[in-house]
Amino acid sequence: MSQAFDPRVKQVLDGERPAGDLPLALRAEAEAAQRVLAALDRREVSLSPQLDARVMAAVRRRAASPRRRAWRWFTAPSVPPWGLAAAAAAAFVAFLLLFRPASVGSPGAASPLATAAGPESVYVRFVLTAPTAQHVALAGTFNRWDPSATPLTRVGAEGTWMVTVPLTAGQHQYAFVVDGQRWVPDPAAPKVDDGFGRKNSVVSVTPTQGRVL
Amino acid sequence: MRVTQGDRVERTAEPSDGAVVRAVLTGDVEQYSVLVRRYRDRYARYASRMLGSLDAAEDAVQDALIRAFDQLKQCRDPDNFAGWFFLILRNRCFAERRRHKRVDGLEHAEELAVPDVSLASLERAEQARSLERALLQLTPEQREVFVLKHVEELSYDEISARVGTGVAALKMRMHRAYDRLRELLRETR
Repeated sequence: MSQAFDPRVKQVLDGERPAGDLPLALRAEAEAAQRVLAALDRREVSLSPQLDARVMAAVRRRAASPRRRAWRWFTAPSVPPWGLAAAAAAAFVAFLLLFRPASVGSPGAASPLATAAGPESVYVRFVLTAPTAQHVALAGTFNRWDPSATPLTRVGAEGTWMVTVPLTAGQHQYAFVVDGQRWVPDPAAPKVDDGFGRKNSVVSVTPTQGRVL
Repeated sequence: MRVTQGDRVERTAEPSDGAVVRAVLTGDVEQYSVLVRRYRDRYARYASRMLGSLDAAEDAVQDALIRAFDQLKQCRDPDNFAGWFFLILRNRCFAERRRHKRVDGLEHAEELAVPDVSLASLERAEQARSLERALLQLTPEQREVFVLKHVEELSYDEISARVGTGVAALKMRMHRAYDRLRELLRETR
């Protein structure tokens, strides 16, 4: 008998033809091979219950590591996912300045933003045009770079995203987080190096008046 | 391992993989435990057959889950986290097999479970053990297609979708594996 199976036996083992179709000599060979395959252990396997805790401990350590944030900045592509052309369109921008909140601190201020704002704050509106984005958020020094803290709202059919936040006087750095993955600097705002080879956008707020950058 | 309609129905009350991935990417790290629970055992049998021991499989699955977290933003289709995670685990298994070559595998073969001897004949149990030992001497590629076809019981089309290799190439790999196994099993007699 040769070392190699007859191709017809292989077809049987593949389940592509019944052993009964083969000549008697080959049929015996195929059936013997099928018996060997039938002996395989196919029982499900369960790993130890401690595996979940070990994985999550490692995940939490990684999430808390400053290196992870640095790595995220370093590896995030500088070109937004919707492409260069759309990015150019997105260059409509940044934000406007607004006004000093007259109602801040006054009793009965109903606006959540007004409640959050302090007396030295101004409201600043951040705007980004990202037609194909599913989710846009704002992360910056004012919210500890938390990409889940300040989502933008899509307004109109043009893919314009907007959020208004109270900022204290001073200089703040920020970026947009598109679809939870891409960190995109504001195309129309001044930028500074973030120390990891990428850029943060910058907004300056004065206590008495806002100004458009 | 096979995704069936039943799996989909069972999961309707839970967040989809895509929703969980997006939550993790936006900072809700604890949500990752959902994916850990969901996938910790799903490919454990594949890993144990690829690596030749449950301990090695557990290490591989753990590493793959952590690596998947590290690279989560590279998951282009969050709703297909399962397929993406499988490829990470697969790479881990291949790297492990190449690192230890086949000699270590022969030692590990003793740790593999064989069919319950009280229910199956001793001859059948010995056949299974011989086959497991022989499998560890296949190339990782041959071993993988054998495991997916005859242990996980996937069709060639399903294997092709999972590993990204054409059906013709998979069949050629499988048929060479049959011949190699035959040769190895004869040597052990």
